[in-house]
Amino acid sequence: MKKSSIEINKHPIDKYLRRDRMPHIWCPGCGLGMDITAFIEGTKQANIDMNNMQIVSGIGCTGRISGYIKLDAYHTTHGRAIPFASGLKLANRNLTVVVFSGDGDLFAIGGNHLIHAARRNVDLTVICVNNFIYGMTGGQTAPTTPVGAFSSTAPYGNFEKPFNLVGVAASAGASYVARWTSLHTKRLANSIAKALSNKGFSFIEIVSPCPTVFGRKNNRSDALGLINELRDRSRIDNSANPTEIPITNYGEIVIGDFLNEPRPCFSESFEEGIKKTKERIEK
Amino acid sequence: MGIVEKTQKKGTSKKETREIVIKKERCKGCNFCVEYCPRDVLEVSEEFNEKGYHPPKIVNSDQCLFCGLCERICPDFAIYIKNNETEPEKEEKPISETTHGLFNIVKSKYEGEFFMQGDIACAEGAIYAGCRFFGGYPITPATEIAERMAKRLPFLDGVFIQFEDEIASMAGILGASWAGAKSMTATSGPGISLMNENIGLGMMTETPCVVVNVQRGSPSTGLPTSWGQADMMQAKWGSHGDYGSITLCPKSPQEFFDLTIVAFNYSEKYRLPVFILTDAIVGHMIEKVIIPPPDKLEIINRKYTKKRPQDYLPYEAESNLIPDFAKAGDGYHYYVTGLTHDERGYPIMTEEVQKENVTRLVEKINTYSDDIIILEERDIDKADIVVIAYGITSRTVIPAIEKAKKKGIKVGYLRLITIWPFPEKRINEIARNIKGFVVVEMNLGQIVLEVERCAAPYTSTKLVPHAGGGIHNIDDIVKAIEELAHEKK
Repeated sequence: MKKSSIEINKHPIDKYLRRDRMPHIWCPGCGLGMDITAFIEGTKQANIDMNNMQIVSGIGCTGRISGYIKLDAYHTTHGRAIPFASGLKLANRNLTVVVFSGDGDLFAIGGNHLIHAARRNVDLTVICVNNFIYGMTGGQTAPTTPVGAFSSTAPYGNFEKPFNLVGVAASAGASYVARWTSLHTKRLANSIAKALSNKGFSFIEIVSPCPTVFGRKNNRSDALGLINELRDRSRIDNSANPTEIPITNYGEIVIGDFLNEPRPCFSESFEEGIKKTKERIEK
Repeated sequence: MGIVEKTQKKGTSKKETREIVIKKERCKGCNFCVEYCPRDVLEVSEEFNEKGYHPPKIVNSDQCLFCGLCERICPDFAIYIKNNETEPEKEEKPISETTHGLFNIVKSKYEGEFFMQGDIACAEGAIYAGCRFFGGYPITPATEIAERMAKRLPFLDGVFIQFEDEIASMAGILGASWAGAKSMTATSGPGISLMNENIGLGMMTETPCVVVNVQRGSPSTGLPTSWGQADMMQAKWGSHGDYGSITLCPKSPQEFFDLTIVAFNYSEKYRLPVFILTDAIVGHMIEKVIIPPPDKLEIINRKYTKKRPQDYLPYEAESNLIPDFAKAGDGYHYYVTGLTHDERGYPIMTEEVQKENVTRLVEKINTYSDDIIILEERDIDKADIVVIAYGITSRTVIPAIEKAKKKGIKVGYLRLITIWPFPEKRINEIARNIKGFVVVEMNLGQIVLEVERCAAPYTSTKLVPHAGGGIHNIDDIVKAIEELAHEKK
């Protein structure tokens, strides 16, 4: 009797969480919890062996995700999640390696690693949670902060042109590219399943609300208001060209499955090349 | 005659037969013959020879006038016209098959005596130790290690990857190590500075791997093609924070081979990135290297936990201070972080956990320092003066010691093979019985500080510095020995 009552109170996702670390450190209204739910849903859909799943993250709010998902997980240095994950994947190809990190981590300090892993088409699934700002350090400008948005290091508004993340990933050579918001949980989960099944570099941008830091500095600190805003501003267009859909401060957010063009991943090309050489030698 | 293509044509006069012979294994693909043949008899072929060149092939044999221009124009003696008078070819194994070429590197067994470059010996040592993942970025004078690994690893079911920079290289080998591979990187100067961030991550997460620093003249870009020994302190204090570290310092290609194996053993045994600090001289020097049969040397492999996943804590160290590993993908669901963590691996931001975590990182090396420290000693018992050197400098010191001995001074020799942990105990012991230490190093005073610290109450220490890019003047060393010997105590 007692045993079953415990099970009744168990959230279905608890199985995949480090329950002894709950509640998590994220602020009320933060999108990261939703993103985890979508991720777990996606992995189930893709039928991945959870023991083989490896979660790698860098530093920042999103970087903490690896500490809450109960899988083999690595919390690495700032920006270096992708090369660490490349090492993991290449040294043991049976592992399913996912990089879960933020926009600052993956596109500012880690930008070089991202474009090169995409170019090589290393078999990784990179999920970038974009909240337009550095959350954990208190709201500094990120490479995604829209022009005109305020941050603690852009007190007069940001003047720099931000990166269009899906555009960068697609141009660099990612073989699967999608963008969703935290609110589009079902579509996001489907997308994660597709990304996990793609043998190559898959990139998913999740536009995620940060009411406490981004919102507060930009007059949108109401969590519900911010998520509604994401709903109202987003438009699904799977046929959109990922390089032509930058996100602005108040304009439309084009979301969808933009690119799914599998090509041989790093390990496959590597093996193929060595196989050819071996044949030549044996002749 | 093996790799020879022939075409035969009846001669116009008499009963003479002539033919074009192409010795494919000699060809270097210059295509002079193809370009200059007046009758367009030759064409570049699709096939590869042993060196990876496309030798020519004969396409219009009936057009050939046997003018012999191809024979004269070929810089590599790879094509000729054979007639009745030409000496018949003997069945002979071409030299190129035994000594040159990429394919031979792949095919060969590496066992026995070799005339080998230091960097290559290092790569072979790593392979011997079981290294199957190399991530790196090209930099003089460490590039040859990467190049060798690129040639060898794919044929040993290993992985070579040239990353976008040294930051990624270091992160990559940590990831590979967690996937279960013995992993390594090699760099120099600016590269090691970039790696230091993730070296800290390796120390904090206790990840085994080997980092080779083939030192060049520094700081900054310094002397890319020349040498120095000025990264000694950086190997200990390079990444921020307190952590115990291990650094080994070879003086020859043979030792570069041997110590690379020792470095892998230490890294697996004590769970940390281990440094090999050598310099451009040893890296580029070619000397005799003996590679023993595969099972001759001791190889230490990773210790995996026997506990069940529900009982396992990733950073629970028994009294030996070194936690056991769990295999990635085996369902242990461990969490690894660079943040201060408790035995569960969970980040805990308290004074107590910080103390416990960092103290163990330092103590796990201090505790085993007697096992880690390797020294070479000569004539120390009878000595008044002991000369301390390490790496390439130790080879300059020997003739200086001989010279000083001829002048009647009793000189001993101490070579530090392990630099960190520093052999405090032994140096302190020696200091009690001698008149002084002369420290010879290729920097302006780094290891001398440590020697002074250990020797201070008992004896004095003298430094013979060198800024790098050259070698010490032997007379400078002799002079320092003399000065110290005649100093009044």
